[in-house]
Amino acid sequence: MVVFLGLPFAFYVVMVLYPFTQATYYSLTAWTGFSAEQPFVGLGNYARLAGDARFLTALGNSLTLLVVVPALVMVASFALACLLTFGGSTAGSVKGLRGTAFYRVVSFFPYVVPAIVIGIIWAQVYDPSGGLLNGVLTGVGLDRFTDFPWLGDVDTAMAATIAVIVWAFVGFYMVLFVASIQGIDPELFEAARLDGAGRVRSALSIALPGIAGSVRTAYVYMGILALDAFVYLQALNPNGGPDSSTLVVTQQIFSTAFSQGQFGLACAMGVVLAVVTLLFVGAVFGVARLLGVRGGARA
Amino acid sequence: MSPLESSRTPLQRRAFLKAVTAGAVVTPFGLSLASCAASGSGPDTGGGGGGGATGEVSDANPFGVAAGTTVEAVVFDGGYGTDYASFAAAIVQEQLDDVTVDVVGSTQIAQQMQPRFVGGTPPDLLDNNGANAIGLSTIAAQLEDLTEVVQAPNTEGTTIADTLYPNVLGVGMYDGKLAALNYVLTVYALWYSESLFEENGWTAPQTWDEALALGAAAQEQGKYLFTWGREAASYYLTMALDSAIKEGGDDVRLQMANLQPDAWSGEAITGVLAAMEQVVSRGYMRPGGAGTQFTQAQAQWSQAQEALLYPSGSWIENEMADATAEGFQMTGAPTPTVTSGSALPYAAINNTPNEPFVVPSQGQNPAGGKEVLRVMLSPETATEFARTKLASTIVAGTIPDDAFGSSALAAQVAMLDAAGTDTFNYNFVQTYGMTQEVNGLWNSFLSGDSDAATLAQGMQAMFDRIREDDSVVKVEVS
Repeated sequence: MVVFLGLPFAFYVVMVLYPFTQATYYSLTAWTGFSAEQPFVGLGNYARLAGDARFLTALGNSLTLLVVVPALVMVASFALACLLTFGGSTAGSVKGLRGTAFYRVVSFFPYVVPAIVIGIIWAQVYDPSGGLLNGVLTGVGLDRFTDFPWLGDVDTAMAATIAVIVWAFVGFYMVLFVASIQGIDPELFEAARLDGAGRVRSALSIALPGIAGSVRTAYVYMGILALDAFVYLQALNPNGGPDSSTLVVTQQIFSTAFSQGQFGLACAMGVVLAVVTLLFVGAVFGVARLLGVRGGARA
Repeated sequence: MSPLESSRTPLQRRAFLKAVTAGAVVTPFGLSLASCAASGSGPDTGGGGGGGATGEVSDANPFGVAAGTTVEAVVFDGGYGTDYASFAAAIVQEQLDDVTVDVVGSTQIAQQMQPRFVGGTPPDLLDNNGANAIGLSTIAAQLEDLTEVVQAPNTEGTTIADTLYPNVLGVGMYDGKLAALNYVLTVYALWYSESLFEENGWTAPQTWDEALALGAAAQEQGKYLFTWGREAASYYLTMALDSAIKEGGDDVRLQMANLQPDAWSGEAITGVLAAMEQVVSRGYMRPGGAGTQFTQAQAQWSQAQEALLYPSGSWIENEMADATAEGFQMTGAPTPTVTSGSALPYAAINNTPNEPFVVPSQGQNPAGGKEVLRVMLSPETATEFARTKLASTIVAGTIPDDAFGSSALAAQVAMLDAAGTDTFNYNFVQTYGMTQEVNGLWNSFLSGDSDAATLAQGMQAMFDRIREDDSVVKVEVS
């Protein structure tokens, strides 16, 4: 007991719980981060955050990512997983599209590339004058995209950023869902087909309920990633984008702590973000319970 | 609890397991929190020297560096590298018995130095520069007054203060003490290709009206007047401020640097912004800058020559050395004024020096840090720096007439000579960590998404917010 649970738990207390508590305490001080003085200010930092327009913008953007990114990734990767598992020819036994193995490997590639590299690659793709995207668009005659700044226009910066994060994760979750769907008894799909169910019906009535536990876990992971998203945002738009339209909380924490020397305030932002994360996880589990999802550790 | 007890109380064990599982679930969510936590050892355990041992004071050792001590210098490893500091370190080691100088390069100054400042073990000399520099007002109270250094004789016996360019120390003043010594002289100007201008019979614009006329001429040839990159939109703030300070005089600089409530509604800055708004609305800015990485945007000017002018500091030649067209002949001209009757002459120039070196008071060997600085400000190291970096330190007279064959460096010296004492500087954008927000506002303005009034409002709102924020340490500029 002591060796198997006590030691890891002690390690956990020292390395995880203690820093949490420490950071929470700092959030109640006006610590600059660069001196030993940590004047206690109570909830002053939180009061400031409530009236800090820039922080609220960042929080709004983080929430946008939280709502949009996991939903898009889940829908896209589930659709692709269905195609690869039972979306193939209707002749013979239930099977995926031809070339499934190839698609699985290829779509997994982005997950293998480090996030910062993905960010840099896409920053080049979006480059207004030399980028691949505008090159293709103007090449097919869409002249209004000449020098169009995808990451520099208020209307497109967030969407362009979301597209990159989705691109990076769809392949991974697709592979995950393929594995889960393959755990469902194939006879269920065959029986459904004999009863006249099409691909969409099979996906929604058999595959989705069958892997609901995996989807829930995947949703939580993706949501946490969307709330962080620091590396992608820092590579694509280090200044927070046009009119701060892609500024997220983690970027704001970084600049508040290190370039503005307000660690106490930055810690308060961290606490707010952690609370948002916990609320999100609670909400996902709550909704899943309402929908009757069981067993979540399959992912 | 002992193994025996636990085996008798399965319920407890289950509760324990539950707690551990719950903890494991929380782990990833806490990253944002953990990133805030400090590794600092707190106020009491700091082993700061607070002066350290002192040696005998002499002309060759004016700060009394003790024999047998070590000096740690942390130098920003950016465009200028760290070898110039090592060069000075070697001289110090040669001149003082048994003193060792360790030069360490870093590009993560704030991240690496933060726990050391908290723990009371900062280095003896720190070059606080780069994207991850510490906001100087945050640590100003913990720094030595470097007046002692500039009043000391250099290695050849001349007082250092007498060897410097005029107005180069002001930006290092914090609450009446010289907290930072900015080592590298930087000239902020409009840079262009001399050969291209000669070929077309163009001249650098001296007023904004001339700039607009030049923009029209550029447009005829399918070129643009300016280009910009999203991370460097703030260069246009510098250009606007320089132009406004020249137009309205030193009061404008003081209003801006002290974040005054009406700074952005003054006549001079309003005139400049109105002219720049014309530049934008007439299509003289190369489109797409808000989404372009800044060095790529700079290459549109230096390599592709799609834009005529680029406002920047004099590091631009070095920065774009590998992306400059053959025969470009980079040269610079002062920022235009609004009218020909400006308060400061057209030749007036922003010479805010860069690479702020500081000596933390809590270091083990502050005297050693000052000694390294003193040697850096002596002719040998300053000349070596100019020769190898093609840039001038704040020490005057280290650039020969041929400027080592660099047209941009020659232009820099010529502009400084022409300006004489009409030089000015400010660095409130760095002091208050405004760059990120400034870039946001200026990207919108330069793309034409907002106008001069919106920009001025946004800048003023930022000024007001920082000025009214008691938790931000203010630096009174005079």
